Amino acid sequence: MATTHKYMPLKSRDDKVVTQMIISGAVVIVGMIFGVLMLAAQGGLIELSAAGFYQFLTIHGTAMIGSAALAASAIMWYFLSHYVELSKKVFNLNLILFLTGVVMTIIGIFSFEYASAWTFLYPLPALSAGAWGTTGALLYLGGMLILGVGFLLLYIDTGRAIIKKYGSLGKGLGWDVIAGKKAEKDAPPATVVASTMVTIVNISALTAGATVLIVNMISVINPAFTFNPLLAKNLTYAFGHIFANATIYMAVIAVYEILARYTGRPWKANKPFLIAWTMSTLFTMIVYPHHLLMDSAMPKWILILGQILSYANGLPVLIITAYGALMIVYKSGIKWDMGSSLIFLSMFGWTAGVVPALVDSAIVVNHVMHNTKWVPGHFHMYMGLGVIAMMFGFMYFLAKNDSQLKTNGLDKFAFVLYALSMFGVCVSFLVSGAISTPRRFATHIPEWMGPAQVGAISGIFVVIGITIFVLHFVRYIFGRNKKSISSETKQVKVI
Amino acid sequence: MKQTIVGIVLYILLWVPPIIALVESIMILHMLVQIPLLMVAGWLMGKCLLERYPSFFEKWNGNGIPGILIVVFMTMYWMLPRAMDEALTIWYIELFKFVGLPLAGLALRHSWEKLQMLGKSFVFLNYISMFGLMGWLYVDSPIQLCNNYLELEQKILGWGFLFITVGMIIHIVQLTFMDHSEEIG
Repeated sequence: MATTHKYMPLKSRDDKVVTQMIISGAVVIVGMIFGVLMLAAQGGLIELSAAGFYQFLTIHGTAMIGSAALAASAIMWYFLSHYVELSKKVFNLNLILFLTGVVMTIIGIFSFEYASAWTFLYPLPALSAGAWGTTGALLYLGGMLILGVGFLLLYIDTGRAIIKKYGSLGKGLGWDVIAGKKAEKDAPPATVVASTMVTIVNISALTAGATVLIVNMISVINPAFTFNPLLAKNLTYAFGHIFANATIYMAVIAVYEILARYTGRPWKANKPFLIAWTMSTLFTMIVYPHHLLMDSAMPKWILILGQILSYANGLPVLIITAYGALMIVYKSGIKWDMGSSLIFLSMFGWTAGVVPALVDSAIVVNHVMHNTKWVPGHFHMYMGLGVIAMMFGFMYFLAKNDSQLKTNGLDKFAFVLYALSMFGVCVSFLVSGAISTPRRFATHIPEWMGPAQVGAISGIFVVIGITIFVLHFVRYIFGRNKKSISSETKQVKVI
Repeated sequence: MKQTIVGIVLYILLWVPPIIALVESIMILHMLVQIPLLMVAGWLMGKCLLERYPSFFEKWNGNGIPGILIVVFMTMYWMLPRAMDEALTIWYIELFKFVGLPLAGLALRHSWEKLQMLGKSFVFLNYISMFGLMGWLYVDSPIQLCNNYLELEQKILGWGFLFITVGMIIHIVQLTFMDHSEEIG
């Protein structure tokens, strides 16, 4: 093992996690290629029909959120399995259901031209104006439902295991330590606290999501059944916002575990840390109305609450984690490598990515900016430089921890290329937003095309960088397999 | 034996024509009282059968999944507005209700003992979203869904479903946040 200090030794050769990470990496590359094609079409660099653009928009959103969730849940599962007893069967079942759901959504989008974006906002799946039919919509919505079932089973299992070890979800969040009934030294590890939070918020999100998915399916089959669209939108964002947001709360476990191992300084779950995570548990579930600030029919008090809680939500865990990351690294004598660099970069992506979101969550700003490309600027920074950096940081860490494979100059080049070009993509979106370019528009007028072109070219470099990251992981997998074959041969000879 | 007798008495009571006429004349009583009580009767009567033929149930419902699938499909069917309508107008659908739901209750009893925590939680969470959805459907529908029940009655039924959904959410929140350390220890 390369970098273990005061922490418990990590499991090696975890094939399930490795499989899930490589699938996620491959899906990220494919998703990014669709993103580049959309930006190129908006920038006038290639010809793409409007129908094709919206199909790409749908697959891009689904692939990126899906792969981020799959990778982040594997990170969570990997580290959490060192503290509680998790079911391997459920972990594998989630992957099978994920792949089944992905195949269904792909067939729905590309064979049946379904294109309502991954947010499937009611009643759009049923009202396509002839762009797609019942089969495509049902395949996509059914695929999402199956995907959700897999994740629901996974989080039920993490909840079960946490309750079994710690007694309750409250204790998993360290409430007995906050209340002073237990000493700080006996607080649950940071990984358990984060996993408990994610378990709570994602089970709530997936239950809401299942309801609204079936509502959409009913209306697709028989449009005579109508539902309150505002309630449907509330439930859709209660699902979508929480599920997407929770990816970073799962992936941040990599920050807690990996940086602590690199620096030899354990990440302590003290009272401020526990309080911050409890606050984020509550706020993450109730801030979604910031997606509905333009819906005049929403009760005003909910919108005001959405604005205030949006400020309150991101900050506790972010500040505690970002400050903690700086403190843990400060004068630690850390040896920077690909894993630690990507993990540290992710803290920048998360911190910087939250800023445009906080700006947009102010109601007066939101009325002007929300339907512009400012918002994709926020979530591309948050996800692209936050979650994705954590994901690949974990993959490099795993490869280093589990094999003798060394990184080379190409990996370092890929790091710089990815960091700069992903930042370029984000800035191109933010600039587009600042010049009032509407988002989700298949075609742009010439005045809007410049930033889209910069975004597309930057996106190509991002894809190159990410592909090098994935290739390193592929080399690790092949190296591992060769090693295991030779060790098996040795065993046979001994026998 | 006591449970079985209580189950048989409950089942006979549910067959009494004036009781049938009363509960089936009011939509919320039909859906949220008669149908669950038929399952409760099956659950109670089933104790005797489960004890008498353990190998049969072990063979067909060893891990509890076939039984719980019967329960899920049966309850899904009886939540549809059309199923309630047909029970009132077609005699064999009514007979199916009185025979099928107690059997579902029996299957639920056997399966619930067999299912592990993961399966139980999954089924419970599914019913939260299913009841929430049905509540929403009945409250929000702009049209009369059943020939035999008025629009107002379906709204009352919808609120009944939502009330149960809220109760289930409160139950699962208190269950997961309640300290289980002593049970584990």
